[in-house]
Amino acid sequence: MGYDSDLSFNYFGPTKIIFGVDSSKDVEIEMSSLGGTKAIVVTDKGIIDAGLLEHIKAALGNKCVGIYSDIPQDTGVEVVDAGAEYARKQGADIVISVGGGSVIDTAKCMCILLTEGGKLRDFNGIQLLTRPQIPHLVIPTTAGTGSEVTTAAVIMDKEMGQKRLLVENHNVPRLAILDPKMTAKLPKLLTAGTGMDAMTHAVEALHSIQHEPITDGLAVHAIRLLARHLPTCIENGSDLVARGQVQIAATLAGWAFGNALVGIVHAMAHSIGAIAHVPHGLANGILLAECMQFNIESCPESYALVAEAFGVRERGMDDMAAAEAAVESMRAFTKTIQLPQRLSEVNVKEADIEKAAELALGDGSIVNNPRFILDSSEVLGIFKNVL
Amino acid sequence: MAKFKAMTQEWLDAYKAAIEADPEYKPMAKDWEGSVALVCNPDPSKGVPETIYIFMDYWHGDVGEFLVCDKAKAESATFVMTGDYSRWKQVALKELDSTKALLQGKLKMRGDLPYVVRNIKTVNKVIDILGNVDTLWPDEM
Repeated sequence: MGYDSDLSFNYFGPTKIIFGVDSSKDVEIEMSSLGGTKAIVVTDKGIIDAGLLEHIKAALGNKCVGIYSDIPQDTGVEVVDAGAEYARKQGADIVISVGGGSVIDTAKCMCILLTEGGKLRDFNGIQLLTRPQIPHLVIPTTAGTGSEVTTAAVIMDKEMGQKRLLVENHNVPRLAILDPKMTAKLPKLLTAGTGMDAMTHAVEALHSIQHEPITDGLAVHAIRLLARHLPTCIENGSDLVARGQVQIAATLAGWAFGNALVGIVHAMAHSIGAIAHVPHGLANGILLAECMQFNIESCPESYALVAEAFGVRERGMDDMAAAEAAVESMRAFTKTIQLPQRLSEVNVKEADIEKAAELALGDGSIVNNPRFILDSSEVLGIFKNVL
Repeated sequence: MAKFKAMTQEWLDAYKAAIEADPEYKPMAKDWEGSVALVCNPDPSKGVPETIYIFMDYWHGDVGEFLVCDKAKAESATFVMTGDYSRWKQVALKELDSTKALLQGKLKMRGDLPYVVRNIKTVNKVIDILGNVDTLWPDEM
């Protein structure tokens, strides 16, 4: 991978990582290290039903002043507002999120409202905050979003009919505890979908026009770990070694895309998610190889790195041949992990993709795509290929 | 050609005239609705002793008020972008991409981000035109 002489970038990744089997039992110790004395735990009913909260509640004892669990799959502006109001009433001075991307993003936005006051719609813009927000400790229960280390949060705004993107350096989580046991009970489809979310973060970080050497390194290793360990997680979900490596991959990919940002795959996944309620990771996974094919002429060097991470770059292959091998490997990989291959398998209709193609053009991610997109018909063409 | 001191009314008048004279601007900006305020944080060491507020009104390819204004007027704009003098100078000289600057926190923006993204070609065009205004920068005077 070559870099221009005018290469310049900011790399930002201040989140402390605690990794290990049973590390989530240290939540009270880690919370205290951040100065927290009264924790609001943000989670969802699925986590509670799976019994994943019991040992955390036990560890926190009376330092847990409340549990907010009314969080749907695609969290919304009103969910954040209600959660912040509840946390304020309970006197929380730290937010602990235990869940997947929707839970973590809800908690991130609650931190803003707990620090700054007001409602989420008052924060319309980018990098508006001028001071650190109240501490946020994350315990992910999926391995995919990378939200535990990023400055971004995605929240559905039904009034706008579109997901809102908040990007705030002052609101990155302070600490993440990666405990492989917290993902061991994930069902196959969710493991595959969230794993492909991480894979998409890594590939998009590589092809983003803002990619740089640090994020490239993180992304390539994330792909390497996912290629090796995600299929094992599908075959045997209780393999804690594989679960742990996939968690680490998701965090590496989170740092990569949190700095290099993402492109057309996310623009399309956000839009089809808003219109047809396709889970984000599944949408990313279904779209990724097709979007790589769309971009291939613009960034063969980046996809050659994907081929190297997959171990399919043969001696003597030029970048374009390696990039083509990477696209084929990605298609085969999604089959290996038993991911749905077409959007129609997740109830997307022809009318949905027409609306989504228009919406994708206004998504913040699309400006970083390596191939400049002039018209929604180009996006629609990709959607049609995977419908 | 006359040179205009950056972020003064004369400079803004020249900028507005340059936009109006650009044949590509009007059709490109036909969908844009909304005023834009630029807030330049003070930097006495670079000849900017106080905060400078600028208000620019853009509407479907037409340009309205272009004013050096007070804080209240600036904050009434649909989009308010804030940054240090050095960052604004980098953007004007095209040394810093405005989208990258926003995402990295070098500039801040209050307003509808998806709308700006949908109209990114218009935003880039007005920055291109700014580069054509012969400017005297306070730290170079």
